[in-house]
Amino acid sequence: MIAVLIVATLAASVAAGTSLLYATLGEIVAERAGVINLGLEGVMLAGAAAGCAATSVTGNPYWGVLAAVLAGAAISVVFAYAVVDCGANQLAAGLSLLFLGLGVSALIGRPYSGAIIHGLPSMSLRAPLEQGAAVLSVDALVLLALPATALVWWALSATRWGLRLRAVGENPAAAFAAGCNRRRLQYQAVLLSGACSGLAGAHIALAVAFTWAEGMTGGRGFIAIALVMFARWNPWAAVAGALVFGGAEALQLQLQASGLDVSPFLMNMLPYVLTLAALPLTGRAGRLAAPAALGRPYTGVE
Amino acid sequence: MNAMRTLSCILAFFALPLAGPALAQDKPALTVGVIYIGNANDYGYNRAMKDGVEEMRKNVPGLKVLEAENVPETAESERVMSAMIAQGAKLIMATSFGHQEFAERLARSRPEVSFVHAGGWMLRPNFGTFFGATQTAWYVSGVAAGLMSKAGKAGFVAGVPIGYVIGNVNAFELGARSVNPKFQTRVVVTGGWSDKVKEAAAANALIDQGADVLTMHVDSPATVIQIAENRGVYSIGFQSIEARQLAPKGWITGLGFNWGPYMTETARQVIAGTFKGSMVRQGLAEKMMVVAPFGDSVPQPVRDAVHAAADKVAGGFTPFTGPLKDNSGAIQIYTGKTMDNSQMGQFNWYVEGVIGRVR
Repeated sequence: MIAVLIVATLAASVAAGTSLLYATLGEIVAERAGVINLGLEGVMLAGAAAGCAATSVTGNPYWGVLAAVLAGAAISVVFAYAVVDCGANQLAAGLSLLFLGLGVSALIGRPYSGAIIHGLPSMSLRAPLEQGAAVLSVDALVLLALPATALVWWALSATRWGLRLRAVGENPAAAFAAGCNRRRLQYQAVLLSGACSGLAGAHIALAVAFTWAEGMTGGRGFIAIALVMFARWNPWAAVAGALVFGGAEALQLQLQASGLDVSPFLMNMLPYVLTLAALPLTGRAGRLAAPAALGRPYTGVE
Repeated sequence: MNAMRTLSCILAFFALPLAGPALAQDKPALTVGVIYIGNANDYGYNRAMKDGVEEMRKNVPGLKVLEAENVPETAESERVMSAMIAQGAKLIMATSFGHQEFAERLARSRPEVSFVHAGGWMLRPNFGTFFGATQTAWYVSGVAAGLMSKAGKAGFVAGVPIGYVIGNVNAFELGARSVNPKFQTRVVVTGGWSDKVKEAAAANALIDQGADVLTMHVDSPATVIQIAENRGVYSIGFQSIEARQLAPKGWITGLGFNWGPYMTETARQVIAGTFKGSMVRQGLAEKMMVVAPFGDSVPQPVRDAVHAAADKVAGGFTPFTGPLKDNSGAIQIYTGKTMDNSQMGQFNWYVEGVIGRVR
């Protein structure tokens, strides 16, 4: 009984955590470059809708993944132009991006809602337990999650590009004086984050839900933003954050299924309570870890 | 699917002048405006409404249908309906619960237009309400689950546990218990009608906990049914019977709404000038609720038993007949008492055998 609960929760945390991790990794890159993007939810939806559409048309979910990545990057161009080139308020621009994503995804997804799509091929790992046997479903995006984390960590911490990107996020004027191209780096960061969020949407649509439905990401874009702070802008800590949040959500559903005598409304709050509780813990240290110029439009000359 | 529909539309367009003098006139016999809350191709609630509209269109010659999808349950819906009336609509069908107050307000100022609304309670001479008697019909799904399940455990993914949903769960469990007295229905509440990641995790959790039949009351059944199919357990659908295409192996049966006959009749009444707003709640007897075709895996004796249960319900049987205990053991309906269709929104307790809490 307890064994089933633990194994099943772990398996489900991977399924739910994978999309969160991709979105969080992307947001880490953007925020390290000084751009906070509150519109992740909209970008994820655009990715999910484009992924479903492309999969439905081509019959191949990998084209769907590619379409999702491109859609995520494409929709982020608007945001990048507003905040990087025009110096728009990042919070307002991010929220606009959210609503743009809601609208665009509804438009793209409309003909494909309810279409039968074949999701990403996956391998089922069964736990040798007596009950329904918890299943960990492993697909390509799950397999690539940790390598992607390593890549982001390496690129940010060990490459010249990463150093410059972080310099832009800490002190754009100094970075400019040192010869960094702020505009290009921030564009790269925002588009990369868009692509990652698109990928996150693709995982939800093609590997978890196997369908398109409006607003299907259910607020996970905002959770990813909270996870960035929880992880203190560190890609490896984001893995832990994504698993913990995904696990909390899975656990409450498992507890309901197991018949625990607790209100389902209380249990539905659990993951969010956990997120809220975790954020103050990272409070002071979090403020120190935050990129110094995060959210500030660059006003210097270039 | 879509291509076929487009093709048939084009064919119908060219066939129109051939259909005789009755159709040759420019002015349609009646213009109907229909608003949907979501996408009409969702394999769920909206799809069922759309299928009903298509049947009405086929049955009533000279009908012109204006449709609007994704109409929110806000004042926006009133604007959409007004625009339809401006285009000549004399009958408005507002198909989502939350469209009610806006349609009713419009009905007050437009007495020459007839309105019907799905699932509400408001009534006016030109404003009627219709819905399927879903709860008693769920009893039949329960019988099917009870006979097919080897584990004697079903999983029920519920969006939000409002009274009507609880009633559906209860009837399902009572149906299953009628053939397997130890049957359990485990309920997982996701807290929303369309949070697909949670629906997926809930479906998996129920299977992990030993359920070998899954059913659901959420907007679109697509995710739950596909997860059941992928993990090799049975599924029972709700709202649109077309969902069976999602589970060729595990589909048992399901309940669908069949709005066509009611919509056809309403359109004819409006044309004849005899429409009067009334409350219509029909179930299996009137064929407003239908039992979906069976999946290939369902053996003949089970099919016979399910048909027999459907006939019993159509004949007036209600599963909510006392004595009935809730799942804490307290008696909720005393011997000799029953709950009828108008009380289904009042459920705030699960019957014995349901694992879950309502609040």
